[in-house]
Amino acid sequence: MLIRRLWLRDFRSYGELDLSFTDGTCVILGPNGVGKSNLLEAIGYAAQLDSFRSAPIDAMIRRGADSAVVRAQLDRNGREALVEAEINRSGRNRVLLNRQRLARTSDLTDVVLVTAFAPTDLELIKGGPGLRRSLIDGLVVSMDSRNEPVKAGFERSLRQRNALLKQVRGRLDTSASATLDVWDHQLADSGERLSVLRQGLIDDLTPLVTKAYRDIAGYEAEVVLHYASSWRERGLKESLVASREDDLRRGVTLVGPHRDDVTISLGDMPARTHASQGEQRTLALALRVAGHRLLAGIHGSSPILLLDDVFSELDDNRAEALLASLPDGQRILTTATEPPSTVHTNQLLMVAEGTITERTL
Amino acid sequence: MAGAYSEAIQDLIDALGRLPGVGPKSAQRIAFHLLKVDVDEANRLARAIVRAKERVRFCSVCFNLGEHELCEICSDVKRDDHVICVVEEPRDVVAIERTHEFRGRYHVLQGAIDHLQGVGPDQLRIRELIARVTAGGITEVIICTNPNLEGEATALYLSKVLDVPGVTISRLSSGLPVGGDLEYADELTLGRALEGRRVITGD
Ligand SMILES: [Zn+2]
Repeated sequence: MLIRRLWLRDFRSYGELDLSFTDGTCVILGPNGVGKSNLLEAIGYAAQLDSFRSAPIDAMIRRGADSAVVRAQLDRNGREALVEAEINRSGRNRVLLNRQRLARTSDLTDVVLVTAFAPTDLELIKGGPGLRRSLIDGLVVSMDSRNEPVKAGFERSLRQRNALLKQVRGRLDTSASATLDVWDHQLADSGERLSVLRQGLIDDLTPLVTKAYRDIAGYEAEVVLHYASSWRERGLKESLVASREDDLRRGVTLVGPHRDDVTISLGDMPARTHASQGEQRTLALALRVAGHRLLAGIHGSSPILLLDDVFSELDDNRAEALLASLPDGQRILTTATEPPSTVHTNQLLMVAEGTITERTL
Repeated sequence: MAGAYSEAIQDLIDALGRLPGVGPKSAQRIAFHLLKVDVDEANRLARAIVRAKERVRFCSVCFNLGEHELCEICSDVKRDDHVICVVEEPRDVVAIERTHEFRGRYHVLQGAIDHLQGVGPDQLRIRELIARVTAGGITEVIICTNPNLEGEATALYLSKVLDVPGVTISRLSSGLPVGGDLEYADELTLGRALEGRRVITGD
């Protein structure tokens, strides 16, 4: 998978931008705070309609503008695709795929995939369960776009049930009670299916994480990913019934896949509390690499790799090992300092305050 | 943006922008189009809106749109009184009528259960539907809500509350594009879904 060209209008710091990319490795070099990461974020947005930096929509629109536009010319095994996304402050975003209105987000998954490494990835190990869930769910959908309706259906059922819980304010009349039964049924149905997909993904990913850890760290260590879920044994339907009184009192659904976690252990010890900072950093990279390899294997084509400032935290050995561990494909990386000398650069873009110049190699 | 247009133009753009499916840019385009056409044409549109608002009302039995106390379908004596087709909106009645596969009566819920929009069962015409079904004479209720999450939830809710002896509850068969609206299905697909409906409860 390739991005050949990127156009931006009023996206973050960029008023107008038209940028071509070559295959292979593209290095975006420039001091901190000049907008290098914004370029990766824009590419990520064209692929996922979301910021991999978890930025709110508003933050992506240039100050003083009402909307931002991201256009990307993509290529998947020789099939070209044009993605055009308009991000509006009003929240009504428009997305065109090959000049046709995008029917489902999952249609985009069939055209382009990205793997993004961000400086905040350490949080995957150290932070709360939300980031780990979205890593797993993201891979579940990227693996097979037909999984997207399961995830979307679960999320929407949950929002509907929570809205109902809030509206009844703890008092259930017959019609509210029957409605809650309906949403329990819908939520249990999609939630059970989502959890099966998550479990399958975690089973597939675990050996790949162990292997990626060895490749990057240079030594053998057993990594185990465990799907931690409070309700699976009992079943979601029954768990929702059991939790109903508490849910009504709190006005929110307290049990379900949205509360699950993926615990990660390194050599029998929980990595979140027991691994060193260096081990945690390697583990975070290994998770991303494993996901990337999984998708590359399934689709027979590597997702576009976005490496946002990952070298600043790594010594040269591990940086080289990381790059060597990634399958061939397009890589776009940002760095404030010259990348390790072994990085074979095909394209070098220099970013200064608001301008980008290509330096011939 | 404030002060870009005179007040009258801005009022028109705002009013158009509140219509479903009309974004700010389309609202602007329609407004300028209306200002460009001659007075007669603009008046025709204005009169059509006023007339429709004055004359058209909801049928007192099925809540479809019509110009009298009873809509055209409810006042048609040749239709089958034993079967009711439940839909979300009047436009769904039109979609099903186009298939020529259904000769019974309708019930228009005026929406689907959607708590995110503040719509629960009490905001829909469900109480009236239950009254129609329990009053007797009905043998089958076909639930034709949209094949999306809210439509399915509404169908499930109805199948629970319409548990009346001697009444079969059925649901449009799958085969309709999931997540879509009934009105976007072509006649053939919709006709087939109606024919191949599956029984949820009843005999
Ligand atoms: Zn009627």
